[in-house]
Amino acid sequence: MTTINIADTTPVPAEQIAKDLLPQKFGRRGMIWTSVLILLFLTGIIAYFRQLRQGLVVTSMRDYVSWGIYISNFVFFVAISLVGSLITAVFRLANVKWATPLTRIAEIIAVSAIVFAALIIIVDMGRPERMLNLFIYGRIQSPIMWDVIVISTYFVISLLLLYLPLLPDLRILINSKAPQWLKRLYRFQGSFWKGTAEQFKISERSITILCIAIIPVAFSIHTVTSWLFATTYRPGWDSTNFGAYFISGAFLVGSGAVVVAMYVFRKYYHLEKYITEMHFEKMGRVVVLLCLLYLYFNINEYMVPAFKMKKPEEAHLGGLFTGEFAPMFWFAIVVGMIIPIIILLFKKGRKPLPMFITGIMIVVGAWFKRYLIVTPTLLHPFLPMSDVPAAYRHYFPSWEEWAITIGSLAGALLVMTFFVRIYPIIPIQETISESHEEE
Amino acid sequence: MKKNKYILLLSLFVLAYVQQAAAQEKEVVKEMVRLKYYNDSNRVQYLLIESLLRKGNNVAPQQNKAYELYLDSKDNSSLIAKVVTDEAGRAKSFLPPSLKDAWDAGAQHTFIAVEPGEEDAKTELEVAKAKISIDTTSDEGTRSITVEVQKYESGKWLPAPEVELKVGIQRLGAVLSAGEEETYTTDSSGTVTVEFKKDSLPGDEKGNIVLAAKAEDNDQFGNLLITKTVPWGEKVKPDDSFFHQRALWATKFHTPIWLLFMAYSIVIGVWATIIYLIFQIIKIKKTGQSVS
Repeated sequence: MTTINIADTTPVPAEQIAKDLLPQKFGRRGMIWTSVLILLFLTGIIAYFRQLRQGLVVTSMRDYVSWGIYISNFVFFVAISLVGSLITAVFRLANVKWATPLTRIAEIIAVSAIVFAALIIIVDMGRPERMLNLFIYGRIQSPIMWDVIVISTYFVISLLLLYLPLLPDLRILINSKAPQWLKRLYRFQGSFWKGTAEQFKISERSITILCIAIIPVAFSIHTVTSWLFATTYRPGWDSTNFGAYFISGAFLVGSGAVVVAMYVFRKYYHLEKYITEMHFEKMGRVVVLLCLLYLYFNINEYMVPAFKMKKPEEAHLGGLFTGEFAPMFWFAIVVGMIIPIIILLFKKGRKPLPMFITGIMIVVGAWFKRYLIVTPTLLHPFLPMSDVPAAYRHYFPSWEEWAITIGSLAGALLVMTFFVRIYPIIPIQETISESHEEE
Repeated sequence: MKKNKYILLLSLFVLAYVQQAAAQEKEVVKEMVRLKYYNDSNRVQYLLIESLLRKGNNVAPQQNKAYELYLDSKDNSSLIAKVVTDEAGRAKSFLPPSLKDAWDAGAQHTFIAVEPGEEDAKTELEVAKAKISIDTTSDEGTRSITVEVQKYESGKWLPAPEVELKVGIQRLGAVLSAGEEETYTTDSSGTVTVEFKKDSLPGDEKGNIVLAAKAEDNDQFGNLLITKTVPWGEKVKPDDSFFHQRALWATKFHTPIWLLFMAYSIVIGVWATIIYLIFQIIKIKKTGQSVS
């Protein structure tokens, strides 16, 4: 491969591409968006300080529901982070060229989600300093230990997969009209990138290795998360279907999030030339396939136990189908899967705006789906406590839990927002290279 | 034919009456309160009160029922304890040191249980003072257990004949008879000798077993118990291998080898790749620096 330099290539398109894709300052809407996110994040921090000071008693978690909204949120974050491996690794290895503009979107979603997945676990612990005990006294036999190992590994791999393809773009950024403080950051991160053939060769090989490595790690991260539940003998969790069920759901929610992000970045930064209707059309096909796959696993997960209706499962399934959790359950199934399938089966449904709406439906449905996986099971223990307080039999998160959860979601969005402000969300160098290849 | 009709009608009336009477009888609620005296190794003496309610054929314990226990007479100086029954309808009290003189003064005593605020005794139990001892002999391979029961009479300890005893080995739930018989009765000298025939019983690590002799609900003396530890059992080394085996539920120091191998192979494999990739970044950096 020859040295690719913007100055060396056909000047007009390359410069135009670079100009279009360079990070831009926040406009008025951007400032409002960022301010709202910071406000929500700070509210979460305040709520967390209250929890630190007073203990987990400020939450609504009691002896029955000891994993509440925090763990639901953790599972959601882990799920959404999986998209990095799908869009970047799977598509890259399969030589799917059209996905190039989406790789960095997927990777930043993965990195920000996995960071907050790790943080939310510490929040759930009540005594964060005890996290250290896990490394001192941890047992490799415990799925919780596997989760800690695999999350940290996935975080490092995702970070590398974000960083390595960014190197050629950093050189462009150093030569851009960015503020000095940003240039210092770019130089610190990538001033050594000269775009030589040797550097490209090492980088390409490293990215390929990363793409291969990230797939089993990504599968492990969500399979292990599913095992946190499935290795217990409890109604709703005691399932051999859980690993595949979680992974299919994770790919769906991640793809939904990418679709939402694609629409927002495209509209806000006027990237219509780079994220085209073709991208929505193709992503629509991917999403509908994932919706059908996840629906299939849901049918397995609920229909088979419902057919047998073993006594311990009865209360759990009854609560989901017709009981306390029925509105949320049917919302998650219908809005999170069935309606998106119907919309996306039609060509018009795979246009940017319907796709954006569908993406939001999938992400919101997926969040509630995680809540339904975690909470209802805990409300039906095999050995109920005698004279159990009424408060233990129901769970509704306290305002501190809501604030921390919303704060963590805002935090993940803030990471993405600041990333887009600093780095190009569509890989500049790759886009230039591909446009030349097409020519 | 008409006569048979009358007989049938009469039978039905009789049957209905009997059923009604039986049903009424079932509804009768009767309170049953029992006192028991225990003398453990001639040192620990305690009383157990048991309070039950019989309703028809059902017997249920009376929980949280208060009683006052007295020695010989119902006055404050003779109060043993104020007790409240547990969920099994039972309450227990030791004889307090303050009543030692009163206990030593007589050969026969009466324990009285009264409900608080009531004058009449709910139940009484008469007990004669007795002591029990156990001894062992081993002669030419024959092992014997000798138990002696004595009663206190006219200021002296005298043999207590005709006391039915269980003599054997204390196991987890009960006393396993040492000989052929289930129970033994003391002779005129107040003793009973039982040949120990339960060889090869598992004991502790040193082969110790606990011999026990007990009189249960004796009309005169209540419950007497004496025990003695002897090295007549088989030495049993406790099987603690359970706690040392490598298993999923064991401590981190006893992780199954296959799991260690799998987990660390994966971790080392993946992290070796990551470290390799970090070195590749360093290589890219060096290449860039050499160009500049």
